[in-house]
Amino acid sequence: MLQSNRKSELVLGYASVAPIIIVIFVVIGVPFINALYLSLTDKTVGASPNFIGFQNYREIFADPIYWQVLINTFIYFITDVVFKLIIGMIFALTVNERFFGRSVVRVLFLVPWAISGMVAALTWKWMYNDTYGILNQLLRNAGLIHAPIPWLSDPHLALVSVIIVNVWRGIPFFLFSILGGMQTIDHQLYEAARIDGAGSIRQFFSITIPSISSVIAITTMLSSIWSFNDFDNIFLVTGGGPLYNSAVISVYTYQMAFQQNAMGKSLSVAGSVIPILMVFMFFMTRRLAKDE
Amino acid sequence: MKSSALRAVRKKTLIYFIVIVGLIWTLFPVYWMVKTSLTPDKLIYDSKPSLIPAQLTLQHYQDLFYTTNFMGNISNSLYVAGLSTIISLLISIFGSYSLIRLKFPGRNFVTKSIIISYLMPAAVLFIPMYVLVSKLGLADNKFGLLVIYPTFIVPYCCYMLLSYFKSIPISLEEAARIDGCTRLQTLWKIILPIAAPGIAVVATFAFTMSWNEFLYALVVTSSPSQQTATIGIASFKFSDSFIWGMLMRSSVVASIPAVILYLVSQSFVMGGLADGGVK
Repeated sequence: MLQSNRKSELVLGYASVAPIIIVIFVVIGVPFINALYLSLTDKTVGASPNFIGFQNYREIFADPIYWQVLINTFIYFITDVVFKLIIGMIFALTVNERFFGRSVVRVLFLVPWAISGMVAALTWKWMYNDTYGILNQLLRNAGLIHAPIPWLSDPHLALVSVIIVNVWRGIPFFLFSILGGMQTIDHQLYEAARIDGAGSIRQFFSITIPSISSVIAITTMLSSIWSFNDFDNIFLVTGGGPLYNSAVISVYTYQMAFQQNAMGKSLSVAGSVIPILMVFMFFMTRRLAKDE
Repeated sequence: MKSSALRAVRKKTLIYFIVIVGLIWTLFPVYWMVKTSLTPDKLIYDSKPSLIPAQLTLQHYQDLFYTTNFMGNISNSLYVAGLSTIISLLISIFGSYSLIRLKFPGRNFVTKSIIISYLMPAAVLFIPMYVLVSKLGLADNKFGLLVIYPTFIVPYCCYMLLSYFKSIPISLEEAARIDGCTRLQTLWKIILPIAAPGIAVVATFAFTMSWNEFLYALVVTSSPSQQTATIGIASFKFSDSFIWGMLMRSSVVASIPAVILYLVSQSFVMGGLADGGVK
């Protein structure tokens, strides 16, 4: 009886996990392996690939544009995540306090996250517009500027402008993750600290931060991976321009594959950051396994 | 005593200050999108745009609905997002439950693979996915997206459902099993009703993820009859000129379903974001 029971559990187990295995190992795994192989070929759209070894990798590593794009990618995701964390934390601390209209304010703070990344990108691109954009108009009205700021065409400013867009959309994710963490903290801890004479800043660093450190770690990790791979925002707001001043790896990959028709080479660009992503994934899976 | 009252006032002032600045920052772009969508074209292209609309019109929404193919794109999105959410949820509910409750060799490996594929970036996969879909004969076909979307929805759903299912006490199931329920009956009669709110949140996120997806849709589909709403919006850009009125109108229309879903499930969503997050 027990024996047959265990057997049927095995069958049921594998049968119900089979679709997941197909999705992960066939629909993701096969294209992934294929991508690694094609990065070693001279594949173009419509032509069959010829194996050329590591030549694509040698070419991109010798190209200064590749390194500029890689540095942009790092600037993009690090600045992005730092600002989202700081502002998200300030907002979370604020809406965790009691004040009139708190529940409505919380819902309104969630709105950018419900809007798609591409809609956010287009809306900001419109606000940034040199001639008709509202941002320059507001700054002019306030007397802060005389000539319009070229938000998207200035080589030094373009990357900053796209980061602002992604920070805007990403703050709610940090806000609500941190808020969720804060709500699990025992109130008695704060009372005890107050009796001991600890001020609010001391309480924040000695109680709040340590209690939500694992929430912060997971949120930061997830957000880093997403920002590192972000495509929609930069592709739509600046297209990586002017020149390659705001290009990141994903956009550069896309342009190389579909605009320069160098598919094999573009895959070597995407492939070259896999070691970096593996570092992220390693920390992430360890973190999640610890949480379980 | 006086100083503590003063401190309370200062704290309240600071809170309201942050709330007001925060709300302006959060909502202004949304306001601007909606305002532009309702402004007549000749006023959109004004080198001194005014903050408060001088004139509003619904005419352009009529143009969007009747003279463009955008509603076709919206129905493609409903189709693709709806179907891929349902398929992925079915796969994930059975799979996650087995991974939590049944003991079979290799289940830890599968669980770990789920987390890794949840983090797998589209930036690395979009070209080989395009190659795969072309080989299946589904290039420029919305069915191609039905093959691709589960690759990010299933890992996300499993990741979330694993923790929901784990939090359900095993004693409830044991009682049912002693009463003679099979595994599937237990899942259907005990687990699903308890996990229903959690599943609703996961479904909401899964739907919005595919509803908002841009990169794969851009790569896979090229004819307007197959394109989803995100690509429909982007098509109001002709080479270097942007038709801002149409872009903002179609953006508003495409945002409505996701925003409504979020607002309806917001009380659950707040907990859900903290649990593991969604793109």
